[in-house]
Amino acid sequence: MIHAEVVDRIGLMGLTLTSREREEREMHSAVQRANALATIAAILLATICAAASFLDAFNSPSLQAHVQVVKINRFRRQLDGNDEVKMTLKMSMDLTSLFTWNTKQVFVFLAAEYETDTNSLNQVSLWDHIVQEKDHASFQVKVPTKYPLIDQGTNLRGKKVGLVLHWHIMPISGRMIQGKMPLSDFSLPDSYTTRS
Amino acid sequence: MAGRERIFGICAWCIRTETAQRLTVLSVAAILTCFPLFSGAQKLELRQTHIEMDWQGQKRAEMLMQIFLVVSAVVAFGLGYLMRDFRLMMLIYAGGVVLTAFITVPNWPFFNHHPLKWLDPSEAEKHPKPQVSNITSSSSSKKKASKNK
Repeated sequence: MIHAEVVDRIGLMGLTLTSREREEREMHSAVQRANALATIAAILLATICAAASFLDAFNSPSLQAHVQVVKINRFRRQLDGNDEVKMTLKMSMDLTSLFTWNTKQVFVFLAAEYETDTNSLNQVSLWDHIVQEKDHASFQVKVPTKYPLIDQGTNLRGKKVGLVLHWHIMPISGRMIQGKMPLSDFSLPDSYTTRS
Repeated sequence: MAGRERIFGICAWCIRTETAQRLTVLSVAAILTCFPLFSGAQKLELRQTHIEMDWQGQKRAEMLMQIFLVVSAVVAFGLGYLMRDFRLMMLIYAGGVVLTAFITVPNWPFFNHHPLKWLDPSEAEKHPKPQVSNITSSSSSKKKASKNK
């Protein structure tokens, strides 16, 4: 009822529209335009961020790394019964191929992996580092381990331990990418050592 | 003098504050100065007429908005990818969005080249509201209601 009146009133006001056009057209305000702009801008922003993240998948990194155990600083049994190892490592690595334009930082850590009777795989992090710039991604360090290698038990005497380099690439937009690379092995001494 | 000190203070503020703060304040100031151009559908009591768009202008504004936004997104992504700089992509896209908002949202005069002719109030009184009969009104409103669904 009301619609018919409005339609006829507009007809009187000199606008020559057919009845079909009258139903399909609607004048909108500046605020509605601003709303539409904000919505479309947000959707396009999500699209370009998704595209940037998608292109990251085509980056096949080829990094080089080398680690060497310089010496075992301390190998003892703790008071609560667990074995503990502290050592000095000499590491050189080149992580520049992990960085793309969509990379915020790379978190890299070195894990000691070994097998015991109770656990098929033990992984203990010995050292980690955050690399935020591509320029700082290639480096060499000779450093004592940040975190000691502590076992769940007393299984480390004479154990063959493998060192594996893990990395987490944190992009600016997108999913975190993980990777790892096994490096050299070493064997722990057969008996506890005192501080040398 | 108070005026000169104030201008100097404003200039010093512009140089000292960060880019993001500057951009927000300047955009708010731009919106306030262009405020008359936003009074599309609302009637300001002080004025007889208000600045608005017409049908052609509205279509043009919508088309311009979509084209500008998509083009700025594509250009931003392309340049950012080529220059290997994510921040550059964000800056170009933000600049494109602000430019589109500046061109499309306010009721600029070039959107009003075919202005709507509104009936003069004195003329409207001469033509009283039509008395639509019950049968035709109910059928036409039913038709329109079903079409709208």
